[in-house]
Amino acid sequence: MNFSESFRIAWRNLLRNKRRTLITGFSVAFGVLLSVTFTASGDYSYTNMINTSATLGLGHLAIEPPGFNDTPSLARRLAGAEEIRDKVLMLPEIESAYVRIMGQAMFASGAKSIGGQVIGIDPAVEDSEHNIFIRSLVEGELFGEGLSRGVLIGSKMAEKLRLALGKKLIYTLTDRTGDMVSGISRVSGIFRTGEDTVDSSIILLPIDRLRKVLDYDEEEASLVSIFIVDQRRADSLRDRLELLIPRQDREILTWRQTQAELAGLIAIDRAGNYLMQFLVGLLIAAGILNTLMMSVLERKREFGMMMAVGMSPSQVITMVLAESCLIGIVGLLMGVLITSPWYYYMVNVGIDFSSQIGDDYSTSGVLVDPVLKFRLFKESALAIAAGVFGLTMVAGIFPAFKAGRIAPVDSIRNI
Amino acid sequence: MATNEVIVEFDRVSKVYQEGRVEVRAVKELSLKLHRGDFTVLYGPSGSGKTTILNLIGALDVPSDGRVLVEGNNLSGLSRTQLSHLRRDRIGFVFQAYNLVPVLTAFENAEFVLALQGVEKKERYHRTMKVLEEVGIADLADRRPDELSGGQQQRVAIARAIAPEPVIILADEPTANVDSANAAGLLNLMERLNREKNITFLFSTHDERVISRARRLIRLKDGELASDQTVVQ
Repeated sequence: MNFSESFRIAWRNLLRNKRRTLITGFSVAFGVLLSVTFTASGDYSYTNMINTSATLGLGHLAIEPPGFNDTPSLARRLAGAEEIRDKVLMLPEIESAYVRIMGQAMFASGAKSIGGQVIGIDPAVEDSEHNIFIRSLVEGELFGEGLSRGVLIGSKMAEKLRLALGKKLIYTLTDRTGDMVSGISRVSGIFRTGEDTVDSSIILLPIDRLRKVLDYDEEEASLVSIFIVDQRRADSLRDRLELLIPRQDREILTWRQTQAELAGLIAIDRAGNYLMQFLVGLLIAAGILNTLMMSVLERKREFGMMMAVGMSPSQVITMVLAESCLIGIVGLLMGVLITSPWYYYMVNVGIDFSSQIGDDYSTSGVLVDPVLKFRLFKESALAIAAGVFGLTMVAGIFPAFKAGRIAPVDSIRNI
Repeated sequence: MATNEVIVEFDRVSKVYQEGRVEVRAVKELSLKLHRGDFTVLYGPSGSGKTTILNLIGALDVPSDGRVLVEGNNLSGLSRTQLSHLRRDRIGFVFQAYNLVPVLTAFENAEFVLALQGVEKKERYHRTMKVLEEVGIADLADRRPDELSGGQQQRVAIARAIAPEPVIILADEPTANVDSANAAGLLNLMERLNREKNITFLFSTHDERVISRARRLIRLKDGELASDQTVVQ
């Protein structure tokens, strides 16, 4: 008896008790729904957090001078940064790349002084998609190119230093040799990201102005911040960049390294998510096992008769596993049917939790979207299908072996 | 017609069942031989060991003592899979309650063992249709068991048993659930198959209608051979 014949009999056995098959299929479908809900909300929120975090300055990948990630000193410089950027942009997977200077500084107004971070950017190439500060401008505008004396500051910093558009801000930092240097700029724009720590501690300056203040060479910077189309490809792209830029005076880091706290948080959350899915899967598998077990015990005599006329234990096992496999397929199809409207709604509308968590909820310094939406990567969808199908098959193993171990003489004694 | 070729041999076979704390000796040191073409009936009161003997010959059970040989193979020395293959290829079963697979049609039930043997589909079709014609239900091939009468179902069971061309068919009370007309028809069919195909039949029955057709009668009592006589017809 070949596989197709085993499947034919298995299919008819399933049709024998349609209600039970539907209920079992629905259990599998419910597993699909739950798994998609857990995974797609994770895929959406993690991607959102990673992408938002990337726009805070470091990108999905960063090419930096060695040691800069651990000690982000302005004394550490990346030579030939513009040339590196041009090379990086040759890879089609790279969405964008920006040369930036990043370091610690003191900011002072006539009223007060505070510490924070300065980011030097090139206004000619930066865009709002990859720069949360430009995207979050609530007053004024981005400073001009070249040696402009404009500066972007956060709304909380503006409050603390009592600054408004056009007012002077003095920044003090250490230059390439470790000497204290200062510069003065006028507020050209105020941003509000919603994350207080960010809005109170970061300023943006034109990179050329900062180079001049710090006495950097024309091509020197702190890093090249790289944005990629799919953040999940960061590791493989880093490996390719390592080959593309064979230099000793730089290191290439992914967002997991530059945003280690966020990466850790996501890893823990993802592990919890997987554990939850596994437990739900176990419950569903127990239900399927119970149903299949009942179905096998009900047909004990039938299996005994089949074995009496020559069916081998392995053929009986194959037939019951075929039933399990078909339940898995039916369940997956039902799962797609019941999950699709839910998924469509969650992708396009989502659930707004802003009344519970507010509009400015953040974690690890990254704003979290209060609207929960879904996004399911192709790999995740395949993993769900494989996982649910696999669990259904696993649930069928014990009943199948139970059927295969039936002694025909016992089951046909009363035939 | 019966020949001298021994198909089944019982050599001082005993079978003991444990029912709770009670030991039941279903068969006691029984020795007998069945030859190719035999049309034999095992009869005797309930508990005399008829079904146990059928189960032992059918490789469904193993003796507690002694040897059961089918075509010279000692069944005690065969693995579970080898026993399955022996049942599939050399032994046919006809049960009292027909025991067809309810989700399969008459045709599919009849071809079931051929499918287990891995016979190629086209050949399987021809052989199955041939046996369905032989048992007289080719026109009901597409019906499922619940759409057939008891007699028709038993004919399908016989078709299933003879399709793989076994050396022996074991029939346990094959006429118990059918009326007289159908019983006569079934017995005529089995007699014809015995005569034309030289298939050995071994019945276990109380039914006088079956006993009256036997060419060899083996009477059992308390698991022992009470008598073994050849009937001249």
